Formats: sequence, structure tokens, C-alpha cells
Amino acid sequence: MSAPGSARTARPAPSVPAGGGPATTIVRTALISLGVLAIVLGAWVLQDTVSTKQIWGLVSWLILAVIIHDGILSPVVAAISIAMRRAGHRIPPAVLAILQGGVVVGAVFTLIVVPEIVRKAKGPKNYTVTPLDYGLHLALLWAAVAVVTAIVVVVYLRVTRARRR
Amino acid sequence: MREMLYGLRRAVSSPNRNARTAVVIGRLLGAAFTICLFTGLYSHFLQDPASWMRFPTSPVSLYRFTQGIHITSGIACFPLLFAKLYAVMPQLFKFPPIKSVVEGLERGSIAIFVAASLVEIFTGLLDTFQYYPEPFDFRQTHFAMAIVIGGSLAVHIGVKLPLIQRYWLKKNSYDANGDFITPEEDVVPPSAQQTARARLAAQDLDEAGLRDPALVYSKGLTDDVVASRPPRGVVGRVFDWIDRTPQVDKMSSRRGFFASIGVTTAAVVAFTVGQSATPFTGINFFAPRKNGYGPNSLPINRSAAAAQVLETAMSPDWTLTVTRGDASNSFTLEQLEAMPQYEAALPIACVEGWSQMAHWKGVRLHDLVSLVGATEPESLKVTSLEKKGGYRIMLMGSEYVHDPSTLVALHLNGERLDIEHGYPARMIAPGRPGVLQTKWLSTIEVLT
Repeated sequence: MSAPGSARTARPAPSVPAGGGPATTIVRTALISLGVLAIVLGAWVLQDTVSTKQIWGLVSWLILAVIIHDGILSPVVAAISIAMRRAGHRIPPAVLAILQGGVVVGAVFTLIVVPEIVRKAKGPKNYTVTPLDYGLHLALLWAAVAVVTAIVVVVYLRVTRARRR
Repeated sequence: MREMLYGLRRAVSSPNRNARTAVVIGRLLGAAFTICLFTGLYSHFLQDPASWMRFPTSPVSLYRFTQGIHITSGIACFPLLFAKLYAVMPQLFKFPPIKSVVEGLERGSIAIFVAASLVEIFTGLLDTFQYYPEPFDFRQTHFAMAIVIGGSLAVHIGVKLPLIQRYWLKKNSYDANGDFITPEEDVVPPSAQQTARARLAAQDLDEAGLRDPALVYSKGLTDDVVASRPPRGVVGRVFDWIDRTPQVDKMSSRRGFFASIGVTTAAVVAFTVGQSATPFTGINFFAPRKNGYGPNSLPINRSAAAAQVLETAMSPDWTLTVTRGDASNSFTLEQLEAMPQYEAALPIACVEGWSQMAHWKGVRLHDLVSLVGATEPESLKVTSLEKKGGYRIMLMGSEYVHDPSTLVALHLNGERLDIEHGYPARMIAPGRPGVLQTKWLSTIEVLT
């Protein structure tokens, strides 16, 4: 068994496309040049249609997005993953993966739905906007995720036990 | 610095965080971004066309389809973007952090790409339920950032193309053992502790079992035992603790990763797409609109109160004035109803993504403008009773003016048009965004 993160030398696998041929170089050059042009065009459109004050507002949100993702969400996910690996070394790895999958489904839905709950609480502009009970639906979703995750774990354990016999 | 970055990188390494998983998720995310970009551009130019632009009026649900796809793939981007960022996260901790100016620019462009993508999809999501906490104008910024993101995507693919080709196929990405074949420049050397422990393990020894002070070992063994002990300092100890965390099973890790992302993406789409795709209405649990819910069994965007038309639209003196040059004709509601009435099934499809098919009855626009002598290629300037708002005045290209299904609608879904839907009369044309289906009509001017 190799130690975690140990050096594995890069071994060339059979029939690996060479990469970096003349066609690749042409495509790369075209993509990068077009891309840079588009970035410049986008920046020009931005300063042309949006006031300087708003551009600073946008810059603050861009920085905030990176801080929230790279500074908070990613380390939390990494920490949870390490904690689960340590705490769950007696749990079959597939079961651990299924539990993590359940958390992923619930977490992404929470992220998408919570702003909608906030918007509804602030009072929509008319009654046809956000007409559903999103808080209740989110709670039911978490319950459904818990039930489905439990069922998948039980089925997985039964199938693997049956195979071992 | 070097040990710090290598330590961080080892800490976040996982069998599902590698260039192959990044390529697999990247292909899906790239497709979703491209779909969003082009459907978004279509929507943008429908609302803000260049003078030479003409748009298809058939199929009538074309815009319903493109904008439904725009919002739905935008929502699908949430799990896909997080999965992509998750897969490439170890790349944050490179040593040396920046090797050259070109690489510095590339990493800078990725920072902009990631930040803009996160802000773009998040503010886009908020827009679907008319929530604007951002300190900048949504529409203009959404458009400009989309161009920047499209360009960044092209640069990113261009830079990474050799890597994408290298890991395009699964069989070239994993060795016979199922281990990922790491690119040479990404190989992270193990820590001194890991190397020492591996040497001890090779001799079937465990450093914890070699602590008896009464025993004397050979020099090499003693050195390895010492080297295997956790380093001093909190940071070193934490990294060593993480390094000694058992690695997860690689197959479970990768299958679990793809299954989680697949299920999440399918679920967020399935539980929201019902606001535009009728067959999914029954499982629409999270979309900001519900098909069939609203006056005349149809949701609304701008209410009559918000448009400040409650008095003017209900006034018995209301008339619709149609002009062309010096010719002018005013119609009361009774006069409009006395004209030949036509029915049309046309959708209301909103830029915010919700849409619904509806049944309209009213006067053919073509009939109305013919009365003031309008000819085939002429376009219109249509004004609403609205006091203010970006869509009070609407320009309509000739392709819609002369389409037989374009109506000045007086009835909706078998009832008199509700005040919220534009009473006494509104425009309804095929294949246009809802904001251009002007409600509470006041004047129609033929542009010659």
C-alpha cells in the first residue's frame, strides 16, 4: 500500500495521445487569442454600460465570492472529509461515500433554496412570485435524502454480504 | 513555504481530486456554460436588437425553449461548478506558486474566471426570484460578465488543452492498479515522516512498537524511528496528523463523487424545471413560479399596481391609438371587440426562466395596422400606459407585426384579460420574451 500522497512517478500509459502537435498548437493559439479578445470586449462593455461605483460594487462581490469559496467552503469540506476518514475507518468506504453523497445533495439544495426563502420572507413583488412553501420543501428534501441514503446503505450492505457468502 | 504548500496539498489530496475527474466534470460544465452563453446572447439580442436583426417567429415556443434551457443549465451549473472547483482544489497549493510571468497571468485569469462564474450564476439565480441584493445593475453586469466568462473559458481550454487531451479517456488516466497517473509536474514528494514510516513498514515494523528505551537498534533503524516522529510545532503536527489519516478507498471515492454530482444535478434540474417544462409541474418543489398559478391561471411579473395603471387602464375613456405618419385611428374596447376575433396558442416566456402556454383571443395586429395603411416591412413602436419602467416603450420588428398569430389580445384562457395581465388590451407575439409582450396598451405607432 502506498502512503497517502506518496510520489508516484509519472508512467506513460499505452496509446496516450501525444498532445502538443501542430494542430493542437493552432487550436490553443486560436482559443487563447479569441479568449483574451473576449475578456477585453467584456471589460469594455462593462465600463461602457455600468457606472464606476457599480463596478467597485462588482469587484467587491468578486473578491467576496473567492473568499467565501476558497477561504470558508473549501477548508470546511476538506476538514469534514478528513474527520470522516478518521472517525469512519471501521465503516466500509462505500458506506462513507454514500453518506457523503447524501450530504452533498442536501447542501447544494440548501445553498440554492435558502436565498429563495429569504426573498419570500422579505415579501415578493406579487403573489405569483415564490408561491411555494420553500422552507417546508427543503426540510422534506433533507428527510427524503436521509431516508434514501439509509436505504442505499442497507441495500449495499446486504448485497455485499450476500456476495461474500 | 515549500513544506507548507506541500503539506496543504497532501492534506486536500483525494483519489477523486485529479486531472481526470476535472476533465470529466469540465466537459459537462463547459457544455452548460456554452449553452448558457448562447441562449443568453439570443435573449439579449431579442431585447436589444441591432437594426439589421430579424428573428424567427416559428416555432412559437422557441424563446420559451431557449430561455428555459438558459435558466435550467444555469441551475445545473451549481453542482457542476462546485464539483469542478473541488476536483482542482489541490492545484491552489503549487510549489513554487508561480513559475513564470505567463503562468502568473494564467493563474490570475483563473481567479477572475472562478470569481466571475460564482457571482454570475449566483446573481442569475437570485434574478429568477426577483432578488437584487447586489450593489450593481443585474442585467448589464450579467451580460458583460458573460462575455468575460466566455473568453476566460476559451483561454482556460487553450492553456489546458494538452492536459485535457492527456486525460480525455479513462484508460489513459489510471494504471492497472486503478491509481491515477499523476502528471510529472504535479507529483508531490512525501514528507520526511512518511518516507521514514514507509521504510519501517517495509521491514514490517511500526514506529509505535519501537519505543522501548531498553532496546538498542541499529543506526539506520534508530534514524528512521526518530524521523518518523511528528515534527515540532503546531502546523507540522497538524499536517502529520492529516498525513497519517487513512486514505479512502479509491474506487468508492471516485464512484461516490460522480454519483453525488450526478444525482444532485439531476435533482436540482428535475425539481425546478417544472416552472417552464409542463410535464414536470407535478414535481416543481423549488422553482420561483408555478404553472397555472395566478390571475387567468397564469403567473405575472409586473403587477398593475407596480406599473401604476390601475386608474388609467380601468378608465371608460380608454382608447388604443394607432398612427402612421399623419394617419391616426383610435379604437375603444367595444370597437376592438367588434373587429374579427382570432384565437392563438402562444406562450408567455419570461427572461427569468418561467414560461407557460396560454390561449389568447383578440384582434390580429396585422388587421389593425392595415387600417392606417401599414405595409409589409414596417416595424412598430408600442407604448404602454405604464408611468415608468424600462419596457414602457417596446419596439417590434416587422417579422412579428405581420405574423398572423400576433394579436392585440382581449381575452386570456377563456376569460376577459385580467388587469394584472394587461386589461384592456395587450400585445402577444410568437417567440418573444415576456417583457416585450406589452401590457396595458396605449399607442401603436407604425415606423415608416
